[in-house]
Amino acid sequence: MDLDEALAALVVRSGDRLLRVGYQFTHDRAAAQDLVQGALLRVYGSVRRRGEAPDDWYAYLRRAVVNEYVRTRRLRSSSEVVTDTVPERPVADCPEDRIADRAQLWAALGSLSPRQRAVLVLRYYEGLADGEIAALLGCREASVRSLASRGLASMRQQAVPARISVEEDRT
Amino acid sequence: MSRIEDEIRQVMADHDRHAPGAADLLRALERMTGPRRLGPRSFGPPRRLARWYVPLFAAAAVAAVVAGSVWAGGLLGAHWRTIATGPRHSGQASPLSCPARYAEPALWVPAPPSGVDGRSRLVPRQVPRSALLCAYTSRNAGQRPGLALSGHRVLAGGLGRLAGQLSLQPREMPGQQIICSLVYGPQTVYLVGLAYPGGGAVWVAASDPADCVGTSNGHFTSFGAIGPTVQRAFRSGRWPFRQRVSCNGPLDAGRRGQETVMVPAGSTSLVICAPAAHSVRSGYQALVAALDSLPTRLSTRGCSSSHRRSGGSARSRRSRLNYQLLFSYPIGPPVRVDIITGCYPEIDNYSLQADNASSIIPIINRLLRSG
Repeated sequence: MDLDEALAALVVRSGDRLLRVGYQFTHDRAAAQDLVQGALLRVYGSVRRRGEAPDDWYAYLRRAVVNEYVRTRRLRSSSEVVTDTVPERPVADCPEDRIADRAQLWAALGSLSPRQRAVLVLRYYEGLADGEIAALLGCREASVRSLASRGLASMRQQAVPARISVEEDRT
Repeated sequence: MSRIEDEIRQVMADHDRHAPGAADLLRALERMTGPRRLGPRSFGPPRRLARWYVPLFAAAAVAAVVAGSVWAGGLLGAHWRTIATGPRHSGQASPLSCPARYAEPALWVPAPPSGVDGRSRLVPRQVPRSALLCAYTSRNAGQRPGLALSGHRVLAGGLGRLAGQLSLQPREMPGQQIICSLVYGPQTVYLVGLAYPGGGAVWVAASDPADCVGTSNGHFTSFGAIGPTVQRAFRSGRWPFRQRVSCNGPLDAGRRGQETVMVPAGSTSLVICAPAAHSVRSGYQALVAALDSLPTRLSTRGCSSSHRRSGGSARSRRSRLNYQLLFSYPIGPPVRVDIITGCYPEIDNYSLQADNASSIIPIINRLLRSG
């Protein structure tokens, strides 16, 4: 099987999975499709130029999707500051921490900065370790933890403002 | 793990079903029209792709579902080298020209395939440079000595779709008859002349739905009913999009590979007609596996209730169940599998038949219940 066949096959084999990841990033079907489409074409060009196929096509394409997502969204969101310092945990006023409204939680996910959202998607949807996420995003592992922690804090504030519990962050 | 992390996992999983599928992506790429070579510098922001043409991306996926690779169940292949992009434009002039008369018998072509492989497929897995349609109108009863040319046109678009559909037509096996209702009246026979980069050419003969012939390039003959699609292409000037698979609508079913397995790999959705339509988008692989594991033989496209089982039991008197299973693919024609219990062979995909549906019916019933 030559290189091009492998890429075409990957669309059929892993397109669904990549699109689901893209949808988690964008929360929009058309944007997810564009994201994956753009990443595929970038990969196609890159691999053709190098003439060398990666060992793990899915991981390679996922990296392209993540990069495409962060690259294109960063232009719209430049106010984010990445720090190694984990913020203080929010104060809780309800011990039960029940999140009844998942739509609210989904909306809260959508309001995170692109890198925060990318970290949460890669951690909780793709099940990647922080080290793997750091390698994907090209940053330090501590930065990943910081992004995740800030993202979670933001979600607690937005999604369950009246019932925030003290929880153990995954830090 | 904290509660909110669990909730995030759950809400992400809940929204999985809203994501687009690979079929959506492939369809979007398939819709892009207008040939222009795609170089490495041609990549741009995704939204601009709406006006691009990536015919071989589609063709690649077509081939991907067919050719047999280690990926995706082993039936994949493609030709990405000819990916093209660019604005829409009218049809490229064809170097071919329509014969003034269509000779008999049916499925005549003016010349065998040249410069491309026409023996293993109806047309190559490659987007043609141009497509010329020639129409010859007649009546299908009595003598039709040399039908006169009644019209012709060069297609202005959809050549990727054309390559996808025609390259995946199923092979007609020796001795198989096309079962249809011959209708007396005006008939149109078409020739599709495809010219390829490098000078190759293939002529494909097809007829409209009322005629009982399949399609052929002179070397490769298929029972696939491409006549209705050619008819629509002739009217619109573009190779049309595939029609949605439906229990009631006309169906251009029949796919390359179904002569070796009941359901070729790569299907992305299933419609069970029982007789109402039940759509299944996932979780039906057990059905595919069960169908593909059945002992089969060449289809006669018929069945009989007087069949005696190998054990010598009397003919089945159980009430008949009738199902039609329609397996769709990202590119190319669907596969249709008919099941009529008590009429042997009970399972038929029109290339292969299998005797006994007793292992299949419970799986279908489970899918119907879960839907």
